[in-house]
Amino acid sequence: MADSTNQPLIQVEGLSKSFGSHLVLKDINFSVSRGEVVTIIGASGSGKSTLLRCMNLLETPNAGHIWFHGEDLAAERVNINRLREDIGMVFQSFNLFNNLNVLDNCTLAPVTLKKMSKAEAEEVARANIASVGLSEFVNAPVTSLSGGQKQRVAIARALCMKPELMLFDEPTSALDPEIVGEVLNVMRDLAESGMTMVVVTHEMAFAKNVSDRVVFMDQGVIAEEGTPEQIFRNPRQPRTREFLTRYLED
Amino acid sequence: MSVKERLSGLRHFVTDDHRYVFLTTSLVAAIGIWFSMRPRSSMSFLAGMYAVEVAMYWFLVAWLALSAVALIFKLTHWKNYAETSPFTKPQVKPIIRWLSYLVVIVTLVLFVDRAIMGFSATMQTALAQDRNPNDFLGSIIYMLDKSADIIGQGVITTVELSVFGTLIAFFLAILLVFLRIQTIDRSDNDFVRFLKRFGSEFAKLYSTVVRGTPMMVQAMLIYFAGFGILRNTGMSVTEIGGVWSTFIAGLVTISLNSTAYMMEVLRGGIEAVDPGQNEAARSLGLSQWQAMIKVVFPQGVKNAIPALSNELVVNIKDSSVLSVIGVFDLMFATKTVVGIYFKQVELYVVAALVYLCLTMAASWLLGKFAKHLSVEPAPLTSVSDMNVTVGTVAGTGSSEHSLDQTKARNQQGADQESQR
Repeated sequence: MADSTNQPLIQVEGLSKSFGSHLVLKDINFSVSRGEVVTIIGASGSGKSTLLRCMNLLETPNAGHIWFHGEDLAAERVNINRLREDIGMVFQSFNLFNNLNVLDNCTLAPVTLKKMSKAEAEEVARANIASVGLSEFVNAPVTSLSGGQKQRVAIARALCMKPELMLFDEPTSALDPEIVGEVLNVMRDLAESGMTMVVVTHEMAFAKNVSDRVVFMDQGVIAEEGTPEQIFRNPRQPRTREFLTRYLED
Repeated sequence: MSVKERLSGLRHFVTDDHRYVFLTTSLVAAIGIWFSMRPRSSMSFLAGMYAVEVAMYWFLVAWLALSAVALIFKLTHWKNYAETSPFTKPQVKPIIRWLSYLVVIVTLVLFVDRAIMGFSATMQTALAQDRNPNDFLGSIIYMLDKSADIIGQGVITTVELSVFGTLIAFFLAILLVFLRIQTIDRSDNDFVRFLKRFGSEFAKLYSTVVRGTPMMVQAMLIYFAGFGILRNTGMSVTEIGGVWSTFIAGLVTISLNSTAYMMEVLRGGIEAVDPGQNEAARSLGLSQWQAMIKVVFPQGVKNAIPALSNELVVNIKDSSVLSVIGVFDLMFATKTVVGIYFKQVELYVVAALVYLCLTMAASWLLGKFAKHLSVEPAPLTSVSDMNVTVGTVAGTGSSEHSLDQTKARNQQGADQESQR
């Protein structure tokens, strides 16, 4: 899927981030090509979520550059709102707008930002809600949905902005084990449709089967990256091996 | 509850067996006896029926005695009361029940005769007097009758001040809270940054000053400052009275004062909204302002509704301090009437009761309003017992796939369970 001759869609250069005196990300260099699906794995506290949140500037980096569309997201006074329109984000805790129903959750941003008419936005939204299999919940209040349904609506909401890049921040970690599958399947379909995705996850099967590249993070640095076969069959770093044996035992 | 349900509830209350029938009705009977021992008023209708009243009195005494016997019997036969007691026999039970209703009726008759007719008699004599009677209740009735228009004007002014003041304050507080909670965004230019900073600091300062000084002092300052400014423009005192009346000054004071408190309430409500809501809105590309207006603020106001409506209740009470600048509110009206009759305790009791009625009515209405505003609470469903339902629109093959997967997972889980 990934075309190596392409310019990377998003490129992270020398990124550092600290919370107080605690250095969470240390000089990260990392890029994602158009159409590529990258999963970031690693222990809790290794900085993978922070890296993802830096990629649409929900966390402000202390140093480094994030190149996207030829602009540096990390630069002071860049129009971050415009750039965020092209980067969808799915959160661990869904974060659906509680004051709106499913359809309005999906149309709010397109109507406000893309200057779409309400009808046009609703058409797009309905298609996206259908693609995550929730057509019959179009007018439901979001508080009446289950966790898995909420997360699928969150994916549909992000897709309504027609993003070029989708970021997933542990999208299944807040879900019951038997619900995880419905969300992962939507993500798998999305990957197959050619969407560029960066996924932070603890779902090793998803990392193994769906992604083009796996990044293993440990203590704020990228310890190892490679194809799923290489990382899972034949990890070079002892830290990676230790992490994976711990995970695959469970 | 529908009328039908209420009626059937009432019917069951009347016909059902009451386990504590003696305990409650003996209390009712005691109250009836107390009423029958009160002196009869001039309007008492039982006065001409002495024999009836004696019969009623002794009936109630007999009921108290019977209750005492029943309760003692119950205490001594605690374990097998239901079987041994003469009061639980099926022939006796309905008789006791109907007698208990009679106790309530007799007490009610005595209540009407002594309390209601007594009150009417007091009222009649008080209204017929041409000078203030000496008894407490009679005096209150006499004064209220003579100065009803003064008190009434005071009540109207108090209601106007608090209702309009709260409404104006609500809209000002919305503006001010927007100034207060602004934060600097990365994409802002220097001018916007300055404005945001300035607005936020202004709101902070406003809140500190207004909440840190007494409303009585604020009322004095606002009234006399306004008066002085208009005087400097060369208006005469009577002209100023037409424009800058004490009522207008009082309304300005209560609005500006309440704005500061309401702003803090709104800020609390907004800050209680999950930060994830804002993050999600921002991640879609909405600006800070858009995320606030469309997502965070509506939820924050909803959080704040109970505390906001409390502001109206507070304003009804606190408007009383505006009487210092001569606003003709309930407090000022009461003081005026006190000045005529020198009956302080009687009149301030009346004022307290009127304030109490106003605040109770306000919180009852606001409770209804809040219930009407907030959306029906969604049914609580746990994540795991929710059915996975699949869209019916064509071209959702992927989600059917997902349903199968989920089913398979569920099946697997069940198998594992059964193996254990």
